[in-house]
Amino acid sequence: MSSFDDIQSPEIITNIGSKHPINQMKDFLLDLLSGFGFQEVHGPEIESEEFNFDMLNIKKSHPARQMHDTFYIQDKSKVLRTHTSPVQIRSMLNAKPPMAFTSAGKVYRKDDDATHLPMFHQVEGIYVDENVNFSHLKDLIHKLIHSIFGKDVDIRFRPSYFPFTEPSAEVDILSEEGKWLEILGCGIVNPIVLENCNIDSRKYSGLAFGLGVERIAMLKYGVNDIREFYKSNLDFLTQFK
Amino acid sequence: MKIHYKDILRFIDEKPSIDDLSNKLFQLGHEHEIEGEVFDMEFTPNRGDCLSVYGLARDLNVFYDVNNLIDIYEEDIEELELDFINKSEADCPNISFLKIEVEDQILEYKDYLSSYFLNLKIKKNNFFTDISNYISYELGQPTHCFDEDRINGQLVFDKKDLNEAFTTLMNSEIELEGENCIFSVNEEVISLAGLMGGKSTSCSELTKIALIECAYFKPESIIGKSVKYNLQSDAAHKFERGVDPSCHEKVLRRFIKIVQDHVKIKNIKLVKFENKEFKPKQIEIDLDKINNILGTSIDDDSYKDNLKKLGFKYESKIKVPSYRSDISNQNDLAEEIARIIGYNNIPNSSINIPKSSQSLVEQKDDKLRHYLIENGFSEVINFPFVGNKENNSISVDNPLDSNKKYLRTNLEDSLIENLLYNERRQKDSIKLFEFSNVYSSDVSRNVVKVGIIASGHMGHDYANFSKKIDHKYINNLFKALFKDNEFKCSLISRERLNTKIKNKIYYIEFNIEDLKDNLDIEIDNSLILNKFIKYKPISEFPASNRDFSFLVSNFSNIEKIFRLFKNMNDEHLKDSFMFDFYKNEKSNELKIGYRMIFQSNTKTLSDNEIEKSVSKILQPILAINGISIPGME
Repeated sequence: MSSFDDIQSPEIITNIGSKHPINQMKDFLLDLLSGFGFQEVHGPEIESEEFNFDMLNIKKSHPARQMHDTFYIQDKSKVLRTHTSPVQIRSMLNAKPPMAFTSAGKVYRKDDDATHLPMFHQVEGIYVDENVNFSHLKDLIHKLIHSIFGKDVDIRFRPSYFPFTEPSAEVDILSEEGKWLEILGCGIVNPIVLENCNIDSRKYSGLAFGLGVERIAMLKYGVNDIREFYKSNLDFLTQFK
Repeated sequence: MKIHYKDILRFIDEKPSIDDLSNKLFQLGHEHEIEGEVFDMEFTPNRGDCLSVYGLARDLNVFYDVNNLIDIYEEDIEELELDFINKSEADCPNISFLKIEVEDQILEYKDYLSSYFLNLKIKKNNFFTDISNYISYELGQPTHCFDEDRINGQLVFDKKDLNEAFTTLMNSEIELEGENCIFSVNEEVISLAGLMGGKSTSCSELTKIALIECAYFKPESIIGKSVKYNLQSDAAHKFERGVDPSCHEKVLRRFIKIVQDHVKIKNIKLVKFENKEFKPKQIEIDLDKINNILGTSIDDDSYKDNLKKLGFKYESKIKVPSYRSDISNQNDLAEEIARIIGYNNIPNSSINIPKSSQSLVEQKDDKLRHYLIENGFSEVINFPFVGNKENNSISVDNPLDSNKKYLRTNLEDSLIENLLYNERRQKDSIKLFEFSNVYSSDVSRNVVKVGIIASGHMGHDYANFSKKIDHKYINNLFKALFKDNEFKCSLISRERLNTKIKNKIYYIEFNIEDLKDNLDIEIDNSLILNKFIKYKPISEFPASNRDFSFLVSNFSNIEKIFRLFKNMNDEHLKDSFMFDFYKNEKSNELKIGYRMIFQSNTKTLSDNEIEKSVSKILQPILAINGISIPGME
């Protein structure tokens, strides 16, 4: 039996805060890729058209360059980067193969609905070396997806189109409900892009891939509306601690 | 683009099932959904050649025996003398015109034409325009039909700077501005080239003589115009993605044939203005390179056979068909082969990438983030678009919302908004932080800032609930992190915030470089490791708090009491915590304050519903001998 004097003050349970779920997912993916040998590189969010588009073989006639898809600033002299690929371009210009880079962070596109936001996050990777081919890309993507969604998940590659990769693919996983869900885009680096970065495309080849962090986070956490991530609601944020 | 299953079958003798076709289309990279017998196709922007029934069937030739049966007019056609001048051949290298005169009124469409409108739920216009639309669907080449009687003067194609009104054939008024490719007669714009014709020269049911324009406009000359003028244009969609520059004669002969199927033709004449001869692109044969790109071992015969099925000529070099503007190098050819093999049938082979190391700056970021989380701060991420213009703000040329046309130069306003948002949801202890770039007119500076905002109770534990966040708390928490122990903390005035809450708001913003280089913070990975929890939907209904002060005078069941507190459970109870714990030495009594927070995901809870939940929770606690709530019967 306890007496008054025996009573210990209960343990003080201090509330810890939470890292934003998108940053949790972004860092999880970066850690995963670091384990595969990729080195993270950083770059600006405000970019020139040259690095955001031209160097990546996105021609002036490509729809992505139109005012309805890309945010332009300072009388069209700059853009808010539409992907993190220009970070890789900048890094490739300052390195020699073999090289394996990841770039991650905010990107901007002129969208706003239940599934698209004007700002979202990407994690992209590129590996350039001699004799890198599509079968290597497939193996790496399988390992990446298995690390995120488990070894039993079914994976499907589909042909797609990105100006900076050729061949290009989109990759789907089969949901528990039996529906194919798009997870990432990837491909063999277009030799034009390698040459733009002063890399001899006859000797070297590369693989590249890009993931939408929100997309992966929505699937992993079961969030149905992408806008939830950006309401800054503590009831939402503190669930991820 | 919607394509009817039966229309595809017209070109495929084997008559595959919808499911079989669907699988083959996915293998080729043609995403789609199926609604009944209609394939709703979503082609990648490089495959303009597939934007028609025939184009799609042509791609399917790698799996099926696709026939080329397109019924065209085979007779000789007299040359048309047309008063036409092309003033911008760079934008329109090739253009052809067909003048066609019919005798009678058209009473009924043949099955193939009427089922196109019926199956795809497309609205009919007039005979000539309907054929034009059908041919665009069937062959992928847009054409435009002028009522010949309404063109009185020289027809001119040009790219011009314009600033005038234009009425489209759909009767919408638009204001032309900037450079536009146009057709004009006597200086009057009669058609927006590659986009939409004008009302003044459009065909009607009464048209007996039509002038059909069939052109190759360069994608860069057309792109963006349909969005700019808010016009739904199938023609622009196709020209932007590239049409076949060498198909005009076939298309116009098909046009004649369809007219002939419906009505007696009185007169036809055709003229072609070809300023550029499209020679097929040629690529070296290099099967080793293809196998190196794919990691495969395809043999010579199957390489040759597969390319031929896609319309390539395999001679001393590989000749690319005129409709494949997307093919120009070995990687493009490798993708064609990969599509035919099936991406999923290409074997995987592993690679080893050498390991790399991380930089010091990131560790500093991580340490600070960890320290903040450990002390109850939650991370937010905000959009950069704001309404306030600062001296050095960057404005967005084409903002999504004209009320938010500037990029933020600081994080303060966003974090204040986040704080108020949470206060409106009855949060009484708010601690938030954000790491983000900010932007100023000197875009060469890439500045990452950290913003921290705090207001309300220091915490929800009994040691801190009674204390409000103040300068001392902030100083104790952050001072030691900064170089020379110096940092700036502002007190945000509530006057401009339209809120009745009185808690003081503290705000800190700094560059990561302002922190000491060697932060003495141990990272506990269990705090920040991604646990992949399954999120529970947030309620948008208000929460209600109920505070209870328990008096314990008999301590024999104290363990049980604590256990009951810890395991409180009710469908409406969202959260609970002990906010007070006081041992009264004089009276030998224990005072425990407990807050219960009630909220429903589906409705605003009534007092009655909350009282029911409270009774259910309290009943086992108050049944214990020696515990009471003073003042409660």
